[in-house]
Amino acid sequence: MAEVYNWQLGRPMEYIYEEAHPNRQFAAIFNINRCIGCQTCTGACKATWTFSKGQEYMWWNNVESKPYGSYPKYWDVKILQQLDEAHQAVGKTAVWDPTQTGEQSPYGVYNGMTITEAAGQTQNGNQALGYLPTDHEWQAPNFYEDTATKYQGDRLGISTEGAALPVHQTWFFYLQRICNHCTYPACAAACPRKAIYKREEDGIVLIDQSRCRGYRKCVEQCPYKKSMYRGTTHTSEKCVGCYPRVEGNDPLSDGVPMETRCMAVCPGKIRLNGLVDIAEDGSWVEDPQHPLYYLIRVEQIALPLYPQFGTEPNIYYIPPRWAPRPYLRQMFGPGVDQAIERYSNPSRTVLALLQLFRASQKMVFRFEIEEGPLVREVEKNGQPWQMYDDTVIGFDAQGREIARLSVVEPMIERGAERLNSI
Amino acid sequence: MMTRSRLLFLALLAVAGVLTFFKIPLASSQGVTITAAKIEGALPLDDVTAVEWQDATAVSVPLSAQIVAKPMFPQANVKAVDVRALYNDAQIAFLVEWADGTMDDTAVRVQDFADAVAIQFPLVEGQPFFCMGQQGGNVNIWHWKADWQAGMDGRQDVNDVYPDMYVDGYTFADTEAGAAAPVSSYTDINYVPAMAADNLFAAPTYASPVEDLIAGSFGSLTSQPIEMQNVQGHGAYADGKWRVIFVRDLASPQGEDAQFATGQVYSLAFAAWDGANEERNGQKSTSQWVSLQLGSIASSPGATGAAPAAGSRGSSANALEGVPYLLVPMFLVFGLVVLAGIGFWILSKLPEKK
Repeated sequence: MAEVYNWQLGRPMEYIYEEAHPNRQFAAIFNINRCIGCQTCTGACKATWTFSKGQEYMWWNNVESKPYGSYPKYWDVKILQQLDEAHQAVGKTAVWDPTQTGEQSPYGVYNGMTITEAAGQTQNGNQALGYLPTDHEWQAPNFYEDTATKYQGDRLGISTEGAALPVHQTWFFYLQRICNHCTYPACAAACPRKAIYKREEDGIVLIDQSRCRGYRKCVEQCPYKKSMYRGTTHTSEKCVGCYPRVEGNDPLSDGVPMETRCMAVCPGKIRLNGLVDIAEDGSWVEDPQHPLYYLIRVEQIALPLYPQFGTEPNIYYIPPRWAPRPYLRQMFGPGVDQAIERYSNPSRTVLALLQLFRASQKMVFRFEIEEGPLVREVEKNGQPWQMYDDTVIGFDAQGREIARLSVVEPMIERGAERLNSI
Repeated sequence: MMTRSRLLFLALLAVAGVLTFFKIPLASSQGVTITAAKIEGALPLDDVTAVEWQDATAVSVPLSAQIVAKPMFPQANVKAVDVRALYNDAQIAFLVEWADGTMDDTAVRVQDFADAVAIQFPLVEGQPFFCMGQQGGNVNIWHWKADWQAGMDGRQDVNDVYPDMYVDGYTFADTEAGAAAPVSSYTDINYVPAMAADNLFAAPTYASPVEDLIAGSFGSLTSQPIEMQNVQGHGAYADGKWRVIFVRDLASPQGEDAQFATGQVYSLAFAAWDGANEERNGQKSTSQWVSLQLGSIASSPGATGAAPAAGSRGSSANALEGVPYLLVPMFLVFGLVVLAGIGFWILSKLPEKK
């Protein structure tokens, strides 16, 4: 076991391999608040990668309704339970110390065990905790779709208070999931053949289809359950991060990195995909003009999914404003309250950057903001808040402008001669 | 100041010294010798109950769970295999039998693992590490799989396992065939990437139920290229037992294959997997090295005129001759554990390198 630094946990942790980081890392932000659960991302991925025989049950991208929905069924409940039992077995509790925040520990310090550390404690013969879901558990991409928690009404079933922020009594939200292309992938740790690798150029994690022997150790030990077994080839496959698009090899891409299919098709404009520069020690190279760097590292409004697993996932979520905080803290760590606060009362830069989501198929590597006039002044959660009609400009890998959007959407009136035209 | 790596090196040196002083060969085994009987005429290639097998004496080879490297599985099921060997002027054949309560010969569903058995031969003089060889000590492995055996007359497909499945059609296959179209009929095999990458697991048809591999340490197991696959075999399940035949030419022109010649003694080891117990890869039962003798021992090596076998084992005197076979690895493991314990104790006392 080597000791590696996991900045999401704010501490070093045990991992099978020594630190070796890519030059750039594939990363994305999913804004849960905007998702309408239309599954267009799911369908786009399926139509691009998993429409072949043996892949019928594979959804490299899926959207599940939390808290009950999951694909494969109960994946998060099961791995959380295993992690909890591992802590109980050694008389530990998995707690965060949110007071120790710093440059290398933005969310504080996680004092519990990760899935790789817990596996070492239990001597279970594997590199990480995990389990192998059966075919029944993979049957559908969203079991319990749109199922909310119990409605609490009066004797007639009518709520006397209705629903109001900050937390709705009856709630659910959509969780959009792809492979997290983790910094310390559990699938790569689990593979006894080293058939899983992380690409130097973009950190995308791939299964070498010539070396895979279908042992399904990755299926078993990926905590997010994003490795999937293909019965027609007896090998496992996973989300490939649409690497031909990320490489800029797609005919449409004009030679610059493009967002993945699932990101680029999103009608709700919830996703922003990009590549962030990684320093030799694995930290993110400071780049406040990069939209991902700004939102994840400067404002910290987007958080990793189950950081306590310890794989340092690279898909970041803006947590849903209306869901109970303890549930969200379990899912996204101790940064949830601050993230929701900053998303609900966004700074001028955040508000402008939120317009950049899904503005172009090409990845945005740099943004600039042109300041506009004050257009609204309101009170939000008891605090005064001003909205400015700023304009955000996005640039591609070659510094060319690819998007220009203002906070206030321009109003265009249809001429009288076209009143009924569609 | 002593660094950890230097200390670790010295500890390894000490282990090597102790092993050398007591003449403990790494993972040797004594007492189990499989004698291959010579027969005239053809070897039984696909008949596990052929009378010819009566000419060979069955030798029971004990197996135990692999617990050296992760992933391991102390509850591995197969405790022993019975082995017979026959040869003629051209070929050698092994019959390996073991008890298994269930026949697991499919690997289509995510939770399905197939039964399997393997024979391992050193590709160097002496005996490399008995688990997958070591650096500079490659091994040749013949790996029979129950699902490959079941697929000899046509690969099992998802529509065999899920007969009620429906599809509109697969884009790169004959859409008229619906769910029955196999991936081997795809016009663009890039959508079957393991097949496009020439992975034998995804081959449209199996030429043999036995895969011919080499390995030189944990995680290095590599299938030989398709054109160099030259081990045949046949397995059958009956009465709660698998009976599996392995057959290959005595001599192989390939440098990464074991070689056999009359009158020689070879090392070999066995491993078995119980699919119902989700056993696969290192989660298996394995034997120590045992011996294989082809006919009577020749007075001098190469007496038959065949090229000296790469895997032939010298008959050097052994300090532990006569010690029951299982005790040797127990001594070895005990010694290593004690030494490792001392090493870690010393390491823990050292200040962390800044």
